[in-house]
Amino acid sequence: MLIFTLRRLSLFIFTILLLTLLSFSLSFLFPGDQLINLTGQLNASPEQLAILANDYNQQFGLLSQYFSYLNHLFHGEMGYSMNSQLPIATEVLNRLPATIELTCVALLVAMFFGIPIGFCAAIYHRKLPDNLILTVAMLGYSIPVFWLGILAILVFSIQLGWLPSAGQISLLFEIEPVTGLQLIDILLSDNEYKWQAFQDATRHLILPVIVVALAPATIFMRLARTAMLEVLDTHYIKAAKAKGLTFSQIIYRHAMRNAFIKVIRDVGLQFANLITIAMVTEVIFSWPGIGRWLIESIYQRDYTAIQGGLIVLSTFIFIVHIIIDFVYAALNPLAREPHHGAR
Amino acid sequence: MNLIDIRNLSIELKTASKPIFAVDRVNLTMKEGEVRGLVGESGSGKSLLAQAIVGVLDEKWRVDADRFHWRGNDLMRLSPAERKAIITKDVAMIFQEPMACLDPTTSIGEQLEEAVDAEQLTGFFWQKRQQRKQAAINLLHKVGIKQHEVCVKSFPHQLTDALCQRVMIAMALARRPMLLIADEPTAAMESTNQGQIFRLLASLNQLKNMSILLISHDLENVTHWTNTITVMYSGQFVEAGTTEQIFNQPYHPYTRALVDSSPRANRMIPNKSRLMTLPGSIPILQHLPIGCRLGPRCPRAQQKCVHAPKIKNFHSHQVSCHFPLKDSYS
Ligand SMILES: Nc1ncnc2c1ncn2[C@@H]1O[C@H](COP(=O)(O)OP(=O)(O)OP(=O)(O)O)[C@@H](O)[C@H]1O
Ligand code: SF4
Ligand SMILES: [Mg+2]
Repeated sequence: MLIFTLRRLSLFIFTILLLTLLSFSLSFLFPGDQLINLTGQLNASPEQLAILANDYNQQFGLLSQYFSYLNHLFHGEMGYSMNSQLPIATEVLNRLPATIELTCVALLVAMFFGIPIGFCAAIYHRKLPDNLILTVAMLGYSIPVFWLGILAILVFSIQLGWLPSAGQISLLFEIEPVTGLQLIDILLSDNEYKWQAFQDATRHLILPVIVVALAPATIFMRLARTAMLEVLDTHYIKAAKAKGLTFSQIIYRHAMRNAFIKVIRDVGLQFANLITIAMVTEVIFSWPGIGRWLIESIYQRDYTAIQGGLIVLSTFIFIVHIIIDFVYAALNPLAREPHHGAR
Repeated sequence: MNLIDIRNLSIELKTASKPIFAVDRVNLTMKEGEVRGLVGESGSGKSLLAQAIVGVLDEKWRVDADRFHWRGNDLMRLSPAERKAIITKDVAMIFQEPMACLDPTTSIGEQLEEAVDAEQLTGFFWQKRQQRKQAAINLLHKVGIKQHEVCVKSFPHQLTDALCQRVMIAMALARRPMLLIADEPTAAMESTNQGQIFRLLASLNQLKNMSILLISHDLENVTHWTNTITVMYSGQFVEAGTTEQIFNQPYHPYTRALVDSSPRANRMIPNKSRLMTLPGSIPILQHLPIGCRLGPRCPRAQQKCVHAPKIKNFHSHQVSCHFPLKDSYS
């Protein structure tokens, strides 16, 4: 397990280094002055610029500039947004929690519904439920997010009026930010309207979560179905049958765990996909997350924000990926073996 | 009374076009306490036959038999559920590739425990759990695994092949079966381990009077351990008789070739001369010859062989061939 952890850690560090390299080179590739792209200080006077140049080792070679950039990043300095002239770090910190909340809830929802439904399809292989589930999965996967989001707002917010269509929580509620994750903050707060606030926040969460979770859920359905079919075809299931276990015992004790492990391995890969969907969804539902902010920055050519947002989002994806890897290792005894960690 | 008596068992692979008989009218009888070898080249349908007996073949196969008696009980007349109940109670099977037959994510201990028959346990559920644990450990002792503490905590990939095979045997013993079907129990094992497994099986046979159906592709390897042998080729019944009859006086050209190709039977022949083998190889399922499936490879084949031969019985030595080698001995 130690070796497994070390390997993941080194992979993490290496990937982050590559990411910073990419982001650093972006400052050269974007139009305009590289130093300004990097720092976002559009309105700086020549003296200030000279100080900044010194700060970012501009008088030395590229390598030294890169290390200075890394050093700044390490201290949480990602420059200023060209747009708002606020520090990128503050902007990101204000928005990332909303995205974490949306994507993590959506991921859990997608897994919670997708995987068992996929298992069901495999258990009823080639029978009516299987075909039905496959068809629904196909449909769900091919619906464009943008269209789905707008349709959801049209039907559930405007026509039926059941659920709110924009934002994270009604403006009536004052929530003291502690962790930044709103649902947790609400629970932590000692507001007398705590439960109303919680309900309201949940109602705001429902539509975006469904929109984000739909496509990944259908992917999980198919992954789970394939995994379960593979597992049901293995020798150990046959041996368990010969041992005299009933079908449900076999499913619950052997098939589900093995199939689940197979699915978990691919969940990490799907998370990047989910983030992309979440970015679009944040725009549709005016969700105050980092995705919407990043897309706006792209529209407004806020190069500093693009670089910072890129690094933060990728790091987030990567951290989730690693967490999922650890879950996989915890469930699968084979992955914990030293020689197996290379995967 | 015969323990098991199977007449004309066929296993058909369901396909879109014409059905394929992977196993074609095979007979198998066993007495109580008997060790029978089931021998045939790779691909002759031995594993299929064994899996059909324990009833674990999936839907793409259809099993049919004229007679399937278990201790005088006609299983063909029972519903699938009743049949399964009887078979799982009395028949245990260890599969080819022991490692693949253990759930890779469940510890050996848990897998052993769930094999223990609930009827053997008494008391409340926490007492039962304790008893289950103890039963699992006893089973490991029975198959000669002494470090049970390490073993129950291990996962299958942490054990060697031979150990996995012992665990599989332990699991098979959990229900105290009357018949143990061992499908190539020693394949891919070193010869010292092979000997240990065979000795273990032999001792189980003697101490518990457990019948064993020993499946192997190597005729010579099983002859030390069996009382009787059934030979199969490409899904067809070839020959059955006592080990001596089969090994010393094979009547069927195929058995003859098997015996002749084994080095031990050839000690009399001069050094460095070629071993007698049949030309060609076993046909694949999609291209089975009609009639006697050995036809294309058989040195004695004649026109009559395009019709499947009837089984001939010579003093309980059964052979399925139009032109048995009976006269060449005597
Ligand atoms: N799941 C399957 N699907 C299709 N064909 C199969 C399947 N399992 C076995 N067969 C075919 O059935 C025939 C008999 O297979 P079987 O496994 O019973 O042979 P065997 O005698 O046990 O050989 P071996 O010594 O290799 O175990 C072979 O031709 C094989 O290709
Ligand atoms: S029946 Fe014919 S082909 Fe078949 S084994 Fe006998 S002689 Fe050979
Ligand atoms: Mg086999």
